Amino acid sequence: MNCEEVTKALPLYYYGELEGEVEEGVEDHLQSCASCQTEQERQRALAAALDRHALAPGADLLAGCRHELARAIYREDTPAVRRTASDPWGLFREAFHSLWHPGIRLAQPAGAVALLALGFFAARFTGGSFSGASFSGLAPDSIISSIRSVQPDNTGRVQISLDETRRRVVSGRLDDENIRRLLLAAAREQDNPGVRVESVGLLKDQCNSAETRSMLLEAVLHDPNPGVRLKALEGLKSFATDPEVRRTLAQVLLKDQNPGVRIQVIDLLITHQDAATIGVLQTLVGKEDNGYVRMRCQNALRDMNASLGTF
Amino acid sequence: MLPDAAGAVSARAAAKPDEAAVIRAVQRGDQDAFEQLVRAYDHSVLRLAMNLLRSPEDARDVYQEAFLRVYRNIHTFRFDCSFHTWLYRIVTNICLDHLRKRKVRREEAAVVDTADGPVDRMDSFEEEAALADPERRLWNSQVSIRIQTALGELTPRERMVFELRHYQGMRLRAIGDVLGTSEEAAKNCLFRATQKMRAVLGDLI
Repeated sequence: MNCEEVTKALPLYYYGELEGEVEEGVEDHLQSCASCQTEQERQRALAAALDRHALAPGADLLAGCRHELARAIYREDTPAVRRTASDPWGLFREAFHSLWHPGIRLAQPAGAVALLALGFFAARFTGGSFSGASFSGLAPDSIISSIRSVQPDNTGRVQISLDETRRRVVSGRLDDENIRRLLLAAAREQDNPGVRVESVGLLKDQCNSAETRSMLLEAVLHDPNPGVRLKALEGLKSFATDPEVRRTLAQVLLKDQNPGVRIQVIDLLITHQDAATIGVLQTLVGKEDNGYVRMRCQNALRDMNASLGTF
Repeated sequence: MLPDAAGAVSARAAAKPDEAAVIRAVQRGDQDAFEQLVRAYDHSVLRLAMNLLRSPEDARDVYQEAFLRVYRNIHTFRFDCSFHTWLYRIVTNICLDHLRKRKVRREEAAVVDTADGPVDRMDSFEEEAALADPERRLWNSQVSIRIQTALGELTPRERMVFELRHYQGMRLRAIGDVLGTSEEAAKNCLFRATQKMRAVLGDLI
């Protein structure tokens, strides 16, 4: 392949979308052509610039979207229900329905109102006690997640069909598959950073599962809590030479707001020297605000006999 | 490609055996299963919409419309393709509609003129650290505006292919499936998109 062909192929080469033979041709050419290597660096720099300006939706926006979706679906599901403020059962169902999504913070006040409302109305309808009402199988520690139907009969009674969730305690060994799955879910529990720190801390020593490693990569990139990100980084230590992990670490290094996280990422990246790491460190030196992180970065580049700046 | 996208893809692959059961439960009217399905995909859907449209209001609209369509039409899903492909066909159609309308209306949602010069409305969503350093903030703002200009040079389809490949980490073959085109056509779109962006951003990189 000549320089013109290689230059044209570089964008697809960068994305790993060339066919095997062409890819090998590009690689052979790159090994001996400084000008095409420069073009390759420019392709990487373009990708890095675009990555730095990528937008990540915040937790509030996501929570707002989920809440609006839950309400829209509720409206679709109950076309015949009157939803006027004077209709207590409508208010009831609406408030309960907002419990459909316990992870949505915006829904929780409405859910709390609903629980109070249930107590209030139950007291009114049953004369201050639950006697006369049949709460068959409704456990005292259960939480009502949604009301499915309300059917009054002509004797003055009403039958309410509801879904309930109950808090359970489970225990088991870390190598138990069910425990591991619960921990994976807990590691993504967006409302409770303490649970996430604990779960990631436990899972980090079991990084041999692809699912766990994927969770750790997700946590290190997106978790809003630096404690969780640091735990996830610990778990990725033994994979510091894996290309996918290194790409993620490079991203984290350039975008993470926490200096402690950035320092730990530098420590992980320099365990294995490659051209991409040098490029990332050089980029960081140019933009790093924190003096200590910048110094660590410069030291790492010196150790690799690399220049401190980019061309 | 953002590395998290690769992670998301592998997470999706790992979730597949359970996913069919979840989808069947949704088809039977199980709302908890629907919630589970939404949660598995909604972050990446919102991120795609946000990056394509550069407007949280539009991204919110896309999110709502896409998942409502899923809710209304899930009974027609026959497992002929992956749920991911089916969902992304819906999402990309809605996003492409937004992008085309915007082109027709000559709207520029992200970059607005102010007394201090052009400002990217999405700057507030970017790195907080940059705000502490005025020089870096200015540089970031300039780069951001140039990136907006570069992205504005792309056709809606080129923009979509680029977003799906670069930010969402999807393979070109899968992108072709989602957009109802060939892998070769998606490849050409990606190539043209990259060339156009390099032409605009050349002196900054």
